[in-house]
Amino acid sequence: MDYGIDIKEQEAVVRLRGRLTFNDHAKLRALIREMLQNKAKRQILDLSALEFVDSAGIGMLLIAREEMANADKLLVLRAATGQVKRVLTVAQLNKIVTIED
Amino acid sequence: MTVARPHVCAIHGLDLPADRLDRLSAALRLPAWQAEAAPKTGPKTGHDGRCPVLALLGGPEAADAAEIWARPFAAWIEVAALTDVELTKAVERARHADLFACVTTGTANHLHLAGRIIGGIAERHPMPDAQRDDMELALHEAISNAVVHGNLQVEGMKGLSVAALERFSHDLAERMADPSFANRRVEVSVWMEDDAVVVEVADEGTGFARPEHIEYGASGRGLDLIAAIAEELQLLDGGRRIRMRFPL
Repeated sequence: MDYGIDIKEQEAVVRLRGRLTFNDHAKLRALIREMLQNKAKRQILDLSALEFVDSAGIGMLLIAREEMANADKLLVLRAATGQVKRVLTVAQLNKIVTIED
Repeated sequence: MTVARPHVCAIHGLDLPADRLDRLSAALRLPAWQAEAAPKTGPKTGHDGRCPVLALLGGPEAADAAEIWARPFAAWIEVAALTDVELTKAVERARHADLFACVTTGTANHLHLAGRIIGGIAERHPMPDAQRDDMELALHEAISNAVVHGNLQVEGMKGLSVAALERFSHDLAERMADPSFANRRVEVSVWMEDDAVVVEVADEGTGFARPEHIEYGASGRGLDLIAAIAEELQLLDGGRRIRMRFPL
């Protein structure tokens, strides 16, 4: 998985690309650190270029959500498609995380 | 699984010493595969009308080539440190499945085994993207469980904190770097049926019992995802083997 961050005044948009699996633990740690460091209250994860996510990837997104909440920030998952959208639905993540189309 | 299976009818060695391949070829009574001479039809035919070939992979790099995962290849065994006796037993198991892979933990992870196997299934039974995605996720979860919790004996992420992620990260890297864990095997067997595909994933860990109550942290969703996708799910051999059945 790769990512790029675009920080604006109110929100930071993180674009994830590729596959997000348990192998990406180090990248997720770095990403969470970056999201905590910038000033934006809304941290948007743009998933439109993410091709595959597994249960550990979902778990890591939930860790990100929790860490943002602890820092008084909001994590939003946006624009998931295909397999990623399907997994978010099957795992019923909409009950826990803000999801936007 | 009562249907007679096509036998593996040739072997192909990659990064394997020629003298060992010759010896194995004789012991297994399997000729070395010759790409040009592969017959289109013959007495021992696979689903594609060609003879299924077993790839013997000397090491992890040998598994990287995409063409080795396409027909006529139907079985893949990473030789690594296997003795001839162990290898012969693995070949025997390969002969009883439509697709078969037996690789080390490190290789299973490195080469993204689930995607390779699903590619093989889809080659034999084309399916819509959504169905293929679901099946790939279920198989990926089963293989990840075999790799992470089974063979590497790394516990899942408990709780929802960066500390839990860091602990997971640390343990995973440590075990993956330890040959006594990373050289354990992951074995995937596939049987194609008329209206379903049965897939088994086995590991060499200490086993697993599905807890009645799951404390969801950042981990613990894998089996639930498999259960949501597969038509049937069984844990066998004390949790060292999972059998999944998917309708086709």
